[in-house]
Amino acid sequence: MADTVAIPQVQPVQPALRFLRIIPGVLLLAAIGYAGKLLEQNVGGYAKAHRWVFPNIEYVLWAILLGLLISNTVGVPEIFRTGVATYEFWLKAGIVLLGSRFLLGDILKLGGVSLLLVAIEIAGAIAFMTLLGRLFKLKPKLTTLLAVGSAVCGVSAIIATKGAIDADDEDSSFSIAAILALGALALFTFPLIGHYLHLGDRAYGIWAGLAVDNTAEATAAGALYSDAAGKLAVLVKSTRNAMIGFVVLAYAIYWASQGQAKVVGNKAAFLWQKFPKFILGFLLISVLATYQFFNKEQVGALANLSRWAFLLTFAGVGLRTNFRDMRKQGLRPFAVGAIGEVVIAVFTLGLVIGAEKLFGF
Amino acid sequence: MSTPENDVQGKKPWRLSLDSWAVVVALLAALLVRAGVFKHIPW
Repeated sequence: MADTVAIPQVQPVQPALRFLRIIPGVLLLAAIGYAGKLLEQNVGGYAKAHRWVFPNIEYVLWAILLGLLISNTVGVPEIFRTGVATYEFWLKAGIVLLGSRFLLGDILKLGGVSLLLVAIEIAGAIAFMTLLGRLFKLKPKLTTLLAVGSAVCGVSAIIATKGAIDADDEDSSFSIAAILALGALALFTFPLIGHYLHLGDRAYGIWAGLAVDNTAEATAAGALYSDAAGKLAVLVKSTRNAMIGFVVLAYAIYWASQGQAKVVGNKAAFLWQKFPKFILGFLLISVLATYQFFNKEQVGALANLSRWAFLLTFAGVGLRTNFRDMRKQGLRPFAVGAIGEVVIAVFTLGLVIGAEKLFGF
Repeated sequence: MSTPENDVQGKKPWRLSLDSWAVVVALLAALLVRAGVFKHIPW
């Protein structure tokens, strides 16, 4: 018998083939998003014409509901999955284009207030989630992942921290599932609470940006309330995202000091690697809009392009949320996440109401 | 000890992150709108 063992050769996927693979899923995102838009336009009118009592449901919610329906009944067939996963790409491209609707002065004014609120939220959320993890006797690294996920920015923060602190795959799956499930709940509860408390667009947008974890869900939760609230939710959420590198670096240094993670060599390079680059694109477009590089019509066109990109994102949020998969992950991390999220939501609501009285935004 | 051969094998091909691609595509779209290639984008 030969001594050598044949190792199967893995052929690299050609870029053209990779591009072709995403097309069916992107078309599915576009079809669901557009169907959401058509339903918004037609269902309300039809109900009114027939004098039915029917709530006015916006395209954002229709797109998410259609995606949820497909994902939790027939499931997303394999051929569409690569393209559906591009919803994060559309989200980030949409945020960059949304920069055209912000003047630099607004960003500096609102960004300053939101930076202060974000710093308080991150410190409070990390402290509370760490305490809760200890009370529920969760593994320390799982607690770290849940704390980062709920304090900073959901799934991206968990993935970034997992690599930096050498956490288990199982722990990161637990945390991601908990954060996604809670994000899906926030989508439906936040607008209801906002309307119940008669929050203004600004206060609600800042609250959604501070308290909803994943960027896609925060954007959708804001847009479900109003266009203005959606803009602010994106701005505040982006400020939270900008902090990701600092929080992950702090945890990496802590776990390295415990001898349970690699030592971080070049800290500046680490921060740059973790920094979400779409924030720089958002700021660049905003600077160009402020100095009138685009005329009024062009700003309108860019805003519409941003809306189309978000439409694909909202369809993707529904399609990637599968309640059966989430149930498999177990109850304890979910319970810690849920208690934490409720407390963070109440805490940030208090912060926003206090800041509104203080700064009058 | 690493040999030059190992170093070559260990090098990953340089790739843009998803974030950076999103920025590149969005800026390109903004430039096309600015240049008048896309005059009106309906909603």
